[in-house]
Order: sequence, then C-alpha cells, then structure tokens
Amino acid sequence: MKGLVPLFIGLFGTFAFSWVGLTVIPNWQIGALNPQTDEEGTDAYPTPKSGMADRGRQIYAANGCIYCHSQQIRPDYDSADIDRVRDAGPSPGPKWAERRSAPRDYIFDRPVVLGQERMGPDVANIGKAAPTEEEKPAAAPAANVAATSPAPAQSPPANVPPSKPGPPAPAASSAPAQPAPAQSPPPNASAPKPGTSGPPPAAPATSPAPPAGSPPAPPAAAANPSPGPSASPNPTGLPPAYSEAWHHRHLYSPRSMSPDNRDSTMPAYKFLYEKHPISGERSADALQLEGRDAPPPGWEIVPTYEAKCLVAYLMSLDQSHPLKEVKTAPGGAAPPAGSPPAAPTGSSAPAPPKK
Amino acid sequence: MTPAAAIPLKEPTVSAAAGDAEQLERARIDASTRVPVLMFYASAMVWLLIGTLLAGFVSFKLHSPDWFSDVSFLTWGRLRPVHMNVMVYGWASMVAMGTAIWLMARLCRTTLRHPLIIVTGIWFWNIGVVIGVIGILMGYSTGYDWLEFPPYAAVVLFVAYALIISWAVLMFRFRRGDQIYITQWYLLAAFLWFPWLYAAAQAMLFVVPVQGVMQAAVGWWYANNLLFLWLGAIALGTAYYMIPKVIGRPVYSYHLATIGFWTYALFSSWTGMQRLVDGPFPAWMITASIAATILTIIPVATVGLNHHMTMQGYFPVMRYSPTLRFTVFGAMSYTVFSVVGILISLRSTARYLHFTEASIAYSHMGLYAFFTMIMFGSMYYIVPRLVGREWRYATLIKLHFWASAYGVGLMSLMLLVGGLTQGADQNDTSMTFIESVASVLPYVRGRTVAALLLTVSHFIFAFHFGLMLFGLGRTSTVPTFLNPVEAEGSEEHL
Repeated sequence: MKGLVPLFIGLFGTFAFSWVGLTVIPNWQIGALNPQTDEEGTDAYPTPKSGMADRGRQIYAANGCIYCHSQQIRPDYDSADIDRVRDAGPSPGPKWAERRSAPRDYIFDRPVVLGQERMGPDVANIGKAAPTEEEKPAAAPAANVAATSPAPAQSPPANVPPSKPGPPAPAASSAPAQPAPAQSPPPNASAPKPGTSGPPPAAPATSPAPPAGSPPAPPAAAANPSPGPSASPNPTGLPPAYSEAWHHRHLYSPRSMSPDNRDSTMPAYKFLYEKHPISGERSADALQLEGRDAPPPGWEIVPTYEAKCLVAYLMSLDQSHPLKEVKTAPGGAAPPAGSPPAAPTGSSAPAPPKK
Repeated sequence: MTPAAAIPLKEPTVSAAAGDAEQLERARIDASTRVPVLMFYASAMVWLLIGTLLAGFVSFKLHSPDWFSDVSFLTWGRLRPVHMNVMVYGWASMVAMGTAIWLMARLCRTTLRHPLIIVTGIWFWNIGVVIGVIGILMGYSTGYDWLEFPPYAAVVLFVAYALIISWAVLMFRFRRGDQIYITQWYLLAAFLWFPWLYAAAQAMLFVVPVQGVMQAAVGWWYANNLLFLWLGAIALGTAYYMIPKVIGRPVYSYHLATIGFWTYALFSSWTGMQRLVDGPFPAWMITASIAATILTIIPVATVGLNHHMTMQGYFPVMRYSPTLRFTVFGAMSYTVFSVVGILISLRSTARYLHFTEASIAYSHMGLYAFFTMIMFGSMYYIVPRLVGREWRYATLIKLHFWASAYGVGLMSLMLLVGGLTQGADQNDTSMTFIESVASVLPYVRGRTVAALLLTVSHFIFAFHFGLMLFGLGRTSTVPTFLNPVEAEGSEEHL
C-alpha cells in the first residue's frame, strides 16, 4: 500500500462509519423516548422505579444475575417466549409475557440489563407474576377475620419468649394477617419490620424501608413475607409463587423450592441474608425455612437491605402495560384504558403519546 | 509434497556480508524491545493462569452451584465477569500489545526508544486490571458485558494505553524504508481503533449515558469491535508476519491482502447487533449487523486464501515449527469462527441459538481458537529472540498444542451442540423451562472437562515460559523443532 494518508483516512472512515451507523443514528431514533400516556395525559408508562428498586437493579447487575436471566421478550413469530408459562405457581402458571418488549419499556433503566442467555427464565414480567389480591386468599385459606388482625399480630407475641420458630400458638395468629396489609394503612406494613433490628416496640422508625418501598407495584405491598410457621396453607409449605417471601426464599435456597426445581443451577445468595438470634419477637420478614436450610432454634434468617432492594426490583418488573407500537397478544390482560380511546373528546391536550 | 530437507527452517540468508549486517541490526532491534515485551508476556502469562483457574471455577460452579456460594466475592455472578475481563484485558490485550510492539519495531526497522515509558505503562495497565477485578469482586460491576470494570479502572487503563501506544506509533514515525507491510496496516489500525472504541463506549455508557436499550446496543457494539478491531486485527497482522517468515516465502498476493484488510475493517466493524436479535430495537439495526456478518465472508475468504496459497507446499513445516503450527491453527480457526458466526447470526438459526450457551462457544472460538492460538505462536517465535535461548522441551510444546487444540475444540463442540438442544427446548412450550436447563447440563459438564485440558495446557506453557525467562532455555543456534528434522519420509502425520 502506498502512502500513509489514504491508509489513515481509510482507518478513520471505516470506523467512523460503524460508530455513526450503529450507535449515533440509532440514538437519534430511539435514544430520547418519552413515557407513553393516554389522551388525558395520565396513565403514564413506564414510570421511574422507586429508590429501592433502582438500587436493586444495581445489585442485580453487580451479582451477575444478568448472565443467566434475560429481560427481553422476543416476538411471537420468532420464538415461543410469549407462549411460555412459568414453572412455579398454580397451574397454569403465569405467562412469561403478553407482548414483545419494546425500546420504550426500558427508558428509565440504567444499567439496562437485557441479558444474553437463559440458564434461568426470563424475568421481564416477574413482578406481574406475583399473586394478585384475589389469589391471595385462595393461597392462604386460613384467612378469616383478616382486616383486624395486623395489630394483634405484632403486639401480643411481643412477650412470647424467644422460642424456636416452631409452631407456637400466637405466631399462628399472624398467618391471617397475610391478606390484610393490602387494605391496611402503611403503618401496619412497616410496624412488624423493626423486629429485624431490635426489640419490636422499641424503634419502629429505624426500619430503613418497608416492603412497600416500590409504590409502582401494588402487589409488593400485599406480599408481606412470612406466613405463620404452622399455618402454612400451601401443602408444600412454600409462600405463594412469585410473592416477595417466595423470592427471598428462592434467593436463599433455590433448590428447596419444589421437587422439580432440583435441576436449577442458580447459586444461593445466602450472603444477602443475615442470621440473628431471635430477640423478643420473631421478625416479620424472617424466612420460612425447613430441613437443612433452617436456622438453629432461637435463630432466624432475615434479608439484608440489599436483598430487600433486589426483591423490590424483581417485584417491580412488569412490561404488561400495552404499548401503542407493539401488538399485545389477544386475550391478554389489557386492563388499562390507554389503548382504545373510544371518544377522542376534542380536549386540546398537547397529545403526549406521540413519539 | 516438498521433502522436508528442502524446507527452509531458518530465515534464508541472502549473502554472507549483507546477511551479517541485517542480523546484527535485527539483534539490536530485538534487544531494544527486550524488557517491555518480556514484561508484557510475563504479565499476560500471570493473568492467563489466573483467568484459567477462574474459568475452571466458573465452569464447575455452573453445574454445581452450591460450591463456595456463601461467600459474596466467590459467587458465580461475580467470578464470571472477573474471568472474562481478566482474559480480555489481562491476558489478551497484554499479549497482543507485546507482540504488536515487537512486530512494529521489526517492521519499522528501528529500535524502540524510551522502553522505560512503556514499562511504566505496563505497570499502570496491570494496576488498572487489578483495580477492576477488585471492583467487580466487591460488587461494583457495571453490568455491561466486557465493560464490567468500574469506570475508575478504565481511566487507569486509558492512561496506561496512552503511555504504551504513543511510543509504538512514534516508532512508526521513525521507520526506515517506504514499504508499509500488511502487518503494519493491521497494527496501526488496531492502535487507532482501540482508544476510539474504548473512549466512545465509556463516554456513551458512563459519562453521558445514552437512554435505555441504547446502552445495550453500545455495549455489544463495543464488545464485538473489541474482538474484531482490536484483538482480531492484531492476530491477523501477526499471522501475516509469522507465516511468511517461518516458511521463508513472501505473501502470496498483496492485492488479496488489501481487499481482505479493507473489507475486514468495513464489515466486521458493523457486526455486533446480531447478538440482540429480536430484542427491543429497530429491526434495521439488527438486520444491518446480520448482513455485515454475512459479508465478513469476503475478508475471511480472501485472507484465508492468501494464507493458504502462501502455505501451499509448505504445510509439512507445521510438523517441525511450533510457531507455524500454532499460527496456522489460529488462522484456520479464524475461518471456522467466522463461518460459525455467520451461521448462528441468521434469524432462522438465531431463534434457536439466541439466549443459549452457543454464544459462549462463539466468543471462545474467537478469543481462543483464533486469537490466543496465534498469540501462542508468536510467543514461540519471539521469546527465544529476546532471551537468547531456545525452548527447552519439544515435548512440552507438543503437549501445550494438543491440550489447547483439543480443549478449545471440545469446548466449542459441547457448547454449540448443548446450545442447540437448549434452544430447541426453550422454544418447545410443551416442556417446562427447567427441562431446557437440565438438557444442557451434560454439555456444561463436558465443558468443564475442556476447561481442565486448557488448564493443563496453560500451566505447561507457563512452566516452559518461566524456564526461558530465567535463562534456563537451551543454548543453541538451532530453534527447537517439534520433531527431529531428519525424521523424513514419515509423512503420514502432517
């Protein structure tokens, strides 16, 4: 080759071509998307995640969850992603998705954790798979007079001696508390938490964040962990699939979840959990564990703040909201009234749904 | 077949007087690169051993997840990026820079000025990798593939790179002779592309982060171009030097080389997005990358043909020369790697192979079977010229070669076939998801066996390299041949 100038121009040119073509131009096209709203400018999707869930994404990335779990749903003409149902949960399990993923689903994500491999299932909609309000009583039939229970659930057992997490009678009364927090005011949700850090009545305010820390995902608040030890309604002794308690237990001991999960190659994330002696009352968010995983009597396993963030993040993952640019599978749950604008109502709203 | 006796196993000497002058000059140039290049190699070897042990660990933990899982910094999800980054930045980049600097000095026919500045750069680079590794282990991984090092480690790497490469480029400035050899195109291109690539990716991900899925696009654009335009370019340049040099014959065609070089620069830089097939992106991006991947058949064919025609009639030399054997293996793997890349990027196959272990096989074919094998070859050529000793044990070289070749072959095969079953099961909704995991587990165990082979191979090589480094090589004027040259006539095994 003769001459340096053509060589350098060529080297610059080819690389600039690739740089502009694959990063700069796409960035013009999809690099500044806004949330989609309906005609009135409400019902915005997506919304930024709460602080805890946002921190949870960092933990998700830093601990390498991304190498085995994808967060992108491929279209139905090229894969079975949309037809697939999750393994756990009442059959038929919750579907992986109702629609394919679109760039707009990720506009608030940083880092974006699309994933590249599936040694584990896709989790793009794992928060959507959490048990809803109606399913909860079915999963926990012991609920009777639930609405009144949250208060007794925490105060009477306070004087129970630090006993084993076995089946003492007062603890059983906390089981009916399960379905309740959904309609109960926030104080109830946060009140049981301080048990993690000290004597229950002492410091209610120190609890860093209640499980309700992810406002955008209402099921998060509902899925108060730890059903009562003895009154486990589920024949397998497991919390309802994809609830917060379920995620905690899954992170702590993945292969204990069900007999058909023995092949799971997910590592246990026990370092995200702490072992405490039970002082006073058993913590509300202590994990329900059996067999080999169970702590010795008088001890309990509670999630660290990082584990709570991670679970809050998982519970917030939900791409079920319809998007105008993507076809939603027929028969899919399409509750939000964003898509069929029956009457355009000449309101001169500045039409945000344009992209 | 050319009889082995007629094969020039040494550089052909033109005439006594001219040859002496040239040899003296070469010796002087080699001596000037001695300290920095050996430091590059020694650091790279240490990282290679660390990365190899991590690889075995990661591979084993993937099918036996309860092994050491209770310690935060030994969890699989942190060790995997450490393994990957140690291999890419610790081993691959360092050995590539060492070889590139030596080649640059040789081809510019000028001594390396200010080697101490490069040595400083090497220290900085090592420190950068250490900082990055500690960052990932402590849980500060960024979560972008191949860019997991926290951004502050990238700053250190960048400083180191500037220190190292500015002098390599300066060498080019002081070159003698007008001819710019093919190898130099590739090396100059790599020197220029890498900082641009790295800076662009860091800027678009950490300094002025792009929105949403564009981060993934930038990430894969970076990862693929790092493989092709940085490591791949240096490997191809090295092959263009080593093959003609060892067999003592000019490259078959300069025209083919030109076509191969420019199409390589043009097409392989546009690949990357096919790793996001069917993802949440505009379809044109992915289609453009698939098209570019298919078009890489042009550089592959021209480069492959060029090497093949150069080697024509000289393939038996592979029986003797360690350098040639490794280099030709790598050059052939470049073809295989690219063809596999084309096959798995097509939408019809990607719907099965996307999200499976097959992508790991692809990365290893590029980074190991192609790049690393060529680098091993170059080390077998360069190290004796730096330490003034010859490799001591031909048996160890043979063991190294066969363990590496079988190891990477077994790994690629396992992961490609395993990926196919895994992908087919994932698309079969009559099976539960966990069954698709179960179906790939036997192949993942097979990969652990491959990792063991590679571990053996790397420790053998490290031992041999250590002997050379401490001056325990053979004192001889004849290079170490894999087989005795006189054993001619037995051509059943080329």
